[in-house]
Amino acid sequence: MTGEQQAATEPTPGVGGDRHDPSTPRYDDVSQLHDTWSTPPGIIGWLSAVNHRTVGLRFIITAFVFLLLGGLLALVMRLQLMSPDSAILSADRYNQFFTLHGVTMMFLFAVPMAEGFAIYVTPLLIGTRDMAFPRLNAFGYYVYLIGGVALYVSLFLDVAPDAGWFNYPTLSGKTYSPGARIDVYTTIITFVEVSALVAAVELVATIFKQRAPGMSLSRMPLFVWAILITSLMILFAMPGVIVASVMLALDRMADTHFFVPSGGGDPLLWQHLFWWFGHPEVYIILVPGLGFISSIVTVFSRRPMFGYTAIVLSLIATGIISFGLWVHHMFTTGVPELGSSFFTAASMLIAIPAGVQIFCWIATIWGGRPVLRTPLLFVIGFIIVFVIGGISGVMVASVQFDSQVHDTYFVVAHLHYVLFGGMVFPTFGAFYYWFPKIVGRMLSERLGKWNFWLLLIGFNVTFFPMHQLGFKGMPRRVYSYDDAMGWGAENLIATVGSWIVAAGMLVFIVNVIRSWRNGEVAGDDPWNADSLEWLTPSPPPQYNFAHIPVISSRWPLWDQDRAGVYDVVSGIRSDRREVVVTSAIEADVQGLSVLARPSLTPLALALGCSVAFVGAIWSLIWVPVGAVLAYLAMAVWHWPVHDERTPPWRTPERDPRLDSTEST
Amino acid sequence: MNVRAVLDVRTLSPYSYRNDGALWWGMMGMIVIESAVFAMLAASYFYLKTQSAEWPLGGYDAPKLLLPSINTGVLIASSLVMHWADKGVAKNDQRRLRVGMIVAALLAAMFLVLKYVEYSDVPYRWDTNAYGSIVWTIIGFHSVHVMVLLAKTMVVATLAMRGYFDPYRRLGVIINGMYWHFVVAVWIPLYVMLYWSPRW
Repeated sequence: MTGEQQAATEPTPGVGGDRHDPSTPRYDDVSQLHDTWSTPPGIIGWLSAVNHRTVGLRFIITAFVFLLLGGLLALVMRLQLMSPDSAILSADRYNQFFTLHGVTMMFLFAVPMAEGFAIYVTPLLIGTRDMAFPRLNAFGYYVYLIGGVALYVSLFLDVAPDAGWFNYPTLSGKTYSPGARIDVYTTIITFVEVSALVAAVELVATIFKQRAPGMSLSRMPLFVWAILITSLMILFAMPGVIVASVMLALDRMADTHFFVPSGGGDPLLWQHLFWWFGHPEVYIILVPGLGFISSIVTVFSRRPMFGYTAIVLSLIATGIISFGLWVHHMFTTGVPELGSSFFTAASMLIAIPAGVQIFCWIATIWGGRPVLRTPLLFVIGFIIVFVIGGISGVMVASVQFDSQVHDTYFVVAHLHYVLFGGMVFPTFGAFYYWFPKIVGRMLSERLGKWNFWLLLIGFNVTFFPMHQLGFKGMPRRVYSYDDAMGWGAENLIATVGSWIVAAGMLVFIVNVIRSWRNGEVAGDDPWNADSLEWLTPSPPPQYNFAHIPVISSRWPLWDQDRAGVYDVVSGIRSDRREVVVTSAIEADVQGLSVLARPSLTPLALALGCSVAFVGAIWSLIWVPVGAVLAYLAMAVWHWPVHDERTPPWRTPERDPRLDSTEST
Repeated sequence: MNVRAVLDVRTLSPYSYRNDGALWWGMMGMIVIESAVFAMLAASYFYLKTQSAEWPLGGYDAPKLLLPSINTGVLIASSLVMHWADKGVAKNDQRRLRVGMIVAALLAAMFLVLKYVEYSDVPYRWDTNAYGSIVWTIIGFHSVHVMVLLAKTMVVATLAMRGYFDPYRRLGVIINGMYWHFVVAVWIPLYVMLYWSPRW
């Protein structure tokens, strides 16, 4: 058995190739699947894990830790602003805190949290055993972890970035920001974006090629649609910030003049490149949240989603229109009038697909038999908070209004209503919804309700007064203010609200710790849900599904349950990591693919890249050093393992498709 | 749970030799990302150009055409040779694969040498002004891509020398070729932009 395991396969997706003994292939042997798909034991095994659920859970937990860290920074800032002229933080520290708070929430919490859920849930939702590039998955996680930790280490070394999360030159240029702080920003941001990009590529490939047979695009769960749109947006948007960061790094380290007016450069170029990324980024954060909402609304309304097609089209429209909004962050920089009009129109236009989805959800809840469990509570919280954020969003889309409130606390209130409402509430809904699947136990409903009400009340108490502060002219990012400004009362209320939010978070942590050990056992499908992840035990086995299902409905569990019999695929080898490959649109079976096994090379590659990126903060000499290390790691990663006893493939003559679909 | 086997995949081949598998989508994702990066650089080039009264900045002449035009031809030739090698392994012509890969790599190396020769002679540097910055950055970024092609192809060529590829196991060659053609194709608009657009 063990010998056969070792001889079984060492697939190498990059160069192609696997080895096995063709005389003893074994198919559909459920007892063997566990050995084939499990991660080796020990610390080496732990570091070489590539399974999507392991990596996904690591993303979720790490992103949650960064949420707490970013939240702590915010609590300290609120304490500083509670009363006029307080001296808890120096101006210099305050700058670092708000910059790190923004960077953490945007880059280290929101996007990785959504990715974590996507990586954990997507293969379960589409009925496959792992993602298309498991090692790339592990690499993405290590890059993210190293980048995030490096950023927080910089805070303790007093070199944390301090020019805001959008880091405008000329403030962030060499003249006004000497020292290493901005270099930390430019290199770490680029580095962390790599993680988002590899996850996006991998999700696109997995969603297009590994859906269970029969799951055509029109039967795909709405959450998977949301993740697909998000991933495609990441591919086009993230390069903007990478190019901008590299240019700024060159300005600072190699004396180029991209953003230096005296050398013919233009600081506004940064703003264009940054917001080309930055505005889609808002929707990259929002759209997975919309996916969570659609999953939860369907299940807890106990009926199929009203307007499935309308929601899919709205998601696509949101993805496209989000690339036509970036200049609305720059209205006060003096954009030509025609440009302003165009971007105002686009900014208002994007409210339409958002509105369509909200009406579809309300119609679904209205026409169903809603079960008011905690996940659905968070959906309702989302709708309230996000609609308020949407309304203030339509307000700032108008140039005249925006000119008044630009860079005031009105914008702080708006962006928190949109991001906290659009991302944090759905994410907590997703925690309560998928926790039983991930852990196998239910979260407490009683604590869940406390969690929800504390967050909802605390959030509004914190951020609603900020609208008023904005109208009263309080600029964002000031570390203190004079009593005579008359901003004291609202700031005090906001600070009290931040404590209520913190209490809500604490309740959640207690709930997770208690339920992890002693929660009610969930069973396969505690919610009577519609989608495939509830077909398998909780937590799922290493191989996800004992048999890969064949899909003939948009709500497979609800529709097939009536018959009581599930259609499945047979003939998948259980002695190596085989998955079914299907066509991109209709999900017709095309063949099989052998996935990569656990390996240390993703970690080695991540370390090589870290040497290059983190080293660049001090000296550019580390870039080629890291590149060579990364190259070696990649060469080993892709090198096929030879086994002279066996021919490379199943005999191709057995596949009549070979000649007709031969590549060119 | 009652199951009923309705679909037997036992007779299907592993998928890897076809060109629209997951790896094809993965490489397309990579190409989309890189295209977006190059598009951002090009947009920055034109943005800086529209913000400047003269282009190139600093009163320099537009870059000379002869050497870079020949060099562009060299790069395109490497792509054609790589394609020829790829077709060779599809017919199980091992010699054609090896010869093709080596010739393509030599042409790419020649491109880098000629770039070096050309840029040892330009009168402005990256720290001269914004024009120098964007031009040197684009050239540098693209040249690094060509170096990566060489490094990557070294691994694939080593496997080819050992007879690893055959008509059914040649995904490595296909994917390597895809990326090669991309790096060559993306150069053509860059060439037009860098060498011809200052004359418009």
